[in-house]
Amino acid sequence: MKAAFPFILLTFMLQPAVRHDYAGMVKVPGGAFRPFLLPGTASGKISVHPFYLDIHAVTNGEFLQFVKANPQWERSGVSRTFADSNYLRQWAGPLDIGDDRIINSPVTNISWFAANAYCKWKGKRLPTMDEWEYAAGAAPVNAKEGQDLSRMILEWYDHPNPVVLPAVLSTYRNRLGIYDMHGLVWEWVEDFNSVMMGSGTQGPGSNAFSCGAGSAGTANKEDYAAYMRYAFRQSLQATYTVGSLGFRCAKDVGSN
Amino acid sequence: MKNSITTWGLIISIMALSCHSKPALTRIACCAKDDAGPTASLTGSLTQNTSVYQFPGRWTDAHNRSLELKELKGKVQVVAMIFTHCGYACPRIVQDMKAIQDSLPGAVKEDVGYVLVSFDTERDDPAQLNRFTVQQGLDQRWVLLHGNPGQVRELSMLLNVRYQKQMDGNFNHSNSIFILDKKGEVRQSLDGLDPQTGIAVNTIHQLINK
Repeated sequence: MKAAFPFILLTFMLQPAVRHDYAGMVKVPGGAFRPFLLPGTASGKISVHPFYLDIHAVTNGEFLQFVKANPQWERSGVSRTFADSNYLRQWAGPLDIGDDRIINSPVTNISWFAANAYCKWKGKRLPTMDEWEYAAGAAPVNAKEGQDLSRMILEWYDHPNPVVLPAVLSTYRNRLGIYDMHGLVWEWVEDFNSVMMGSGTQGPGSNAFSCGAGSAGTANKEDYAAYMRYAFRQSLQATYTVGSLGFRCAKDVGSN
Repeated sequence: MKNSITTWGLIISIMALSCHSKPALTRIACCAKDDAGPTASLTGSLTQNTSVYQFPGRWTDAHNRSLELKELKGKVQVVAMIFTHCGYACPRIVQDMKAIQDSLPGAVKEDVGYVLVSFDTERDDPAQLNRFTVQQGLDQRWVLLHGNPGQVRELSMLLNVRYQKQMDGNFNHSNSIFILDKKGEVRQSLDGLDPQTGIAVNTIHQLINK
């Protein structure tokens, strides 16, 4: 025991410095919510553990720092395994954003692999789909009485993408203190590839020929805004880059 | 009378329209029979390196050995993602892979490996993978891999496998067998649950002789 002590001490001292960097994040308290796609539990609810979430999406400026530190993620050198050919196409050059107006706008045209690598580099991770949906369901702080979040989202869907993407923090803050969950860009989530639709996806015993057989698994058939998000996720692959698709990072409570 | 016909016509058109506006979208049921017909696609020659073996990280096999994916280089690999508690789809995938192995002539058997990667990072530890190996009668050409949840998710992204953990600990997942060339590029994906042994064997022969 005595002999082991210095060894244990040494092991402890050799641990890399623990970075608890929660700047720019808020703690989302745990809770339960009804996701758009029913989980098959009796209550129809999913519980979410407390976690930290970035208050805004990662910007072009922030992503440039990542690319500078990780040259394998430069536009000119990135492997096609990890991003398609439109990766970071909005930038003027591999290490040059070019247009000053988009420095503080969400970075888009990034693949899931790039978003995942960025969050890891920051000591964070991508939020899960359930975490993201849970946080995004919080009402806007300054919402007018009776203003419906899904109505606001549908209005956003209605508008074509702006030529110059607005800066982060420019839409609305929700009651958790998180900005722009809707109304600015779509966002990658860690497990976007868990949404499955198409033939052969009906639950046991369901009738594939009955009208709306697939949508029977949804919580609220009228929630077209949520339907659009899940359908969009379903259409993605991890190498895809999209001009209106960005991301933000999450972190476990008490993680290193 | 005319009015009621018009009304019914209207109702029927609305019903038809609402059907179209709500395509099937649901969490996939584990191991439900996939009634989609078999599809196979052979990826053509790729100009850039898209090998799965670029993907870093250490995995553990059924014998508790630690390895990186790139150690699978040099053989044609037949790969699938499964979990061992799966009741229907996964045993069929393993069965199909065994059928591929059995259909290969003795001369090329050593040029081909078989890899099963588990979604179930909690229950499918190396000991459970070892039990599964024995149960299924898998020989030394099979490698069963256990990884951490992040690694497994990343690999599913590379292979374009879709999966989701259910509340009961089981998984919903898409069903595909992948054939990787000696460098680790995915050259064919056999999707669905109908055996496509002949197609697979043809591809393997082509890839071995390259």
